[in-house]
Amino acid sequence: MEAPLGPTDSHSLQLCVHVNGKRWDGFIPAEETLLEFIRIRLGLTGTKRSCESQVCGACTVLVEDQPVSSCNYLAFEAHNKSVLTIEGLAKGGQLDPLQEAFMRNVGAQCGFCTPGQIMSAKALLLQNPSPTREEIAEWLSGNICRCGAYPAIIESIQEVASR
Amino acid sequence: MLPAFKVLNTSSITDAVHELARLGDQVRVYGGGTELLILLRHNLVRTEYLLNIKTIDELSRIGWASDRVVIGAAVTHRRLETDTTIRETLPMLAHAESQVANIRVRGQGTIGGNLCFNDPHSDPATALLIYDAEARIHGPGGERQIPLQEFLVGMYTTALNSDELLVSIHVPRLPVGFGSSYLRIHRLQRPTLGVAAAARCQNGEIEEVRFAVGCIGPKALRLAELESKIRGATLNDSKKIIKETKPYLRSVLEPIDDLLGSAEYKLYLAVILLERALDDAVNDIERNPNGSSPGANR
Repeated sequence: MEAPLGPTDSHSLQLCVHVNGKRWDGFIPAEETLLEFIRIRLGLTGTKRSCESQVCGACTVLVEDQPVSSCNYLAFEAHNKSVLTIEGLAKGGQLDPLQEAFMRNVGAQCGFCTPGQIMSAKALLLQNPSPTREEIAEWLSGNICRCGAYPAIIESIQEVASR
Repeated sequence: MLPAFKVLNTSSITDAVHELARLGDQVRVYGGGTELLILLRHNLVRTEYLLNIKTIDELSRIGWASDRVVIGAAVTHRRLETDTTIRETLPMLAHAESQVANIRVRGQGTIGGNLCFNDPHSDPATALLIYDAEARIHGPGGERQIPLQEFLVGMYTTALNSDELLVSIHVPRLPVGFGSSYLRIHRLQRPTLGVAAAARCQNGEIEEVRFAVGCIGPKALRLAELESKIRGATLNDSKKIIKETKPYLRSVLEPIDDLLGSAEYKLYLAVILLERALDDAVNDIERNPNGSSPGANR
């Protein structure tokens, strides 16, 4: 965000953001989180609300390709930035290789943490297309799966990474 | 939902300090927000205004002031983990930063926020104490610079006055010949215990040593008494001294029982990790025979 010339004092803040390639322009309250913006304002409910303390990873989205806990990230911070959610991964009806790998390997049980797992994995592969198993485990250590689908999650990511 | 607040974007330290003085208890400094937003959500903190300091360029810089690395208060953990200057000159700090919480918290949370919140479970504070880091603070009366150990007053408490802003951390490199280590025990993403050590050897003796322990009591602490006992001892004798140090650790660290473990358990672990960290720091000297200070020509 560009620094304004002097102190500004406002409750309503301008937001111009590209979510999954689509531009949104408007004003939002300062305290609106990116999660609320995505789920309530845009109706994109693939991003899940869970711990609301930046621990579990269920609300992970990408801001400028970096993984972010949207529950604890103020939406105005995304001004002039691009946001990618699970809904934006598929290209023209073609699923992302990560989504296909998660399906093939059954990298989920109940599925609640899955969008966050996939978005975290996406961020990792954007930075490092061929991570080791250890690097995947370290990167995903902040994405909790209460069902314990970790072995299949890591296999899914390894499968895409090794291509 | 978070309670309503307004955001003040400032572009200079002078403006920020002016706003802090003007608004008093109606304003909170907002850096990464990783801790503050959670406190607001749970009504543990109430505020009219967030003072956004990320819009002040100077606070996001990593630079040099003579032979010290200057880390702006709004620099994120992730940058400290990955920045070339930090990895080359303060490798133990870079390693400790790589252990903080998870990748999302590291990308958003700032070093200044971590130190100002002074959660006892802080990896960076423990690591920075080893380097004899100092905190530079701006207030209405000008600026002051104090040792980090003085800045960290107690659990969630610092030496910062409400009209003051932590601007940067000044970190001297370890002297030539030192090796260093940071070890921790953690359950999920919060450390139960963090131990940092640095040492220099001569003729089979520990010539110089520094220890810091964090997470088990109200604040991270340097262990001056243990350091002076070990100075001049062999590595084997040092380990014996560490094994007998539990009563001292109990009195200075004030360990507490919490969800991460009992005070007894943490003391038990502290003794073991101090021993291992010293070993590791000594091995680090051999790994980096020129010391932890490459780039001495800088």
